[in-house]
Amino acid sequence: MIKLHKVSKSYSRFQAIKSISITVNAGEIHGIIGASGAGKSTVLRLMNLLEIPEEGEVEVNGQTLTNLHSKELRQARKSIGMIFQQYNLVANKTVYENVAVSLELANFPREERKSRVGECLQFVGLESLKDKYPAQLSGGQKQRVAIARALANNPRVLLCDEPTSSLDPNTTAEILSVLENINKSFGVTIVIVSHEMEVIKSICNRVTVMADGEVYDTVTIKPKRILNTDNSPKYFVEQLTKVGEMDHA
Amino acid sequence: MPDILVQYEAEIWSSIGETFVMVGVSVLAAILVGLPVGTLLFLCRKDQILENQFVFSSLNLLVNIVRSFPFLLLVVFLIPFTRLIMGTAIGTAAATIPLSIIAIAHYSRLVEQSLLDVPKGVIEAAVSMGASVKEVVFKFLYVEARSGLVLGLTTSIISFISYSTIMGVVGGGGIGDFAIRYGYQQFKTDLMIYVIIIMVILVQLLQFVGTTISRLIDKR
Repeated sequence: MIKLHKVSKSYSRFQAIKSISITVNAGEIHGIIGASGAGKSTVLRLMNLLEIPEEGEVEVNGQTLTNLHSKELRQARKSIGMIFQQYNLVANKTVYENVAVSLELANFPREERKSRVGECLQFVGLESLKDKYPAQLSGGQKQRVAIARALANNPRVLLCDEPTSSLDPNTTAEILSVLENINKSFGVTIVIVSHEMEVIKSICNRVTVMADGEVYDTVTIKPKRILNTDNSPKYFVEQLTKVGEMDHA
Repeated sequence: MPDILVQYEAEIWSSIGETFVMVGVSVLAAILVGLPVGTLLFLCRKDQILENQFVFSSLNLLVNIVRSFPFLLLVVFLIPFTRLIMGTAIGTAAATIPLSIIAIAHYSRLVEQSLLDVPKGVIEAAVSMGASVKEVVFKFLYVEARSGLVLGLTTSIISFISYSTIMGVVGGGGIGDFAIRYGYQQFKTDLMIYVIIIMVILVQLLQFVGTTISRLIDKR
């Protein structure tokens, strides 16, 4: 579904990505993990050409993006959804308008937009908030709007750049189950970049481990289930006062 | 109403009319030309979607040059150009030429600054959704920056009123010129003070309207 072939990218003199090749199979949830500065976000941004590589080829959905003209590239991007750590919603548009804009960009038939936005918001459980502005929402709700916006055009691929890194553990679990649900219900291929091991372990089928702009290894794993952490005050006290384990080193 | 205002009422009204013409044309120029120029300045900056060092530097230099002229000098300097376009360099209509030029330079800079406040991530999200440059500008940038654009225009309009008082030197007329001719040159200090009061009220009103609109449309 996604193939990076010997792709390199540098910023001024610093080589961020050193001739890497990665294959993401159709239908999988593919994780990319690594330390800060390992180049994992850059790799994700290369997959929809938000970053233009100096060398190598990027292929998505059977199209070689690196060979496309700007108009064709814009067309191809409409079937590659993307969500971000900072959500990147338009603060002056309502929830409804934020989702509708991606339909407008894709020239989705005008009469059907309203019902399509409704469907997407319903899928992420935010239908009742459609007239709110992003400033009135919590982080988890904003990320759901961003997911609805990315889903509206029925993308084949969803790129997720640290989607849960600004969220607390419970909200993280909620967002991850929404993502898993998208993968299961619509067969959307998902690539998820995260520095959080738990996030990667809980939903990915295959994981690319990166270090210093190179692929260190790619492993196939069996996703453990998404754990809903307990956030009752009792649980916090228990965890804090638990004796031993970590601190006898 | 004070006698002196009654005595000059007709002239005051026609002066206010001239000010409105001069400022109105400047505002039109600011919106029709200054807004696109400011947007282009922003888009051509380094790391923006139309990054173009040559266009950016040229526009930047041009805007700076116009803005570095003391306005009175700009008016005089532009007399041949004004005459070329309007057939004359004298009168209210001719005065709109230098005013429009300063208006474009003034507002385009404020537009650029407002657009710089739009989070980079929003533009990135737009690009990732396959938006063209035009769509990024109209469906994202202007929507996100709208309150700054309105505040900037308010600031600009108030500056244009101030600039328009200088247009007396080329017979542009206007309320500021009226105050100088009667209040200063004919020692009618009370008349000058009344005119200043009128202008203060006008500016207060404008600022109030601008601030209110910008607050109402800001949902950030």
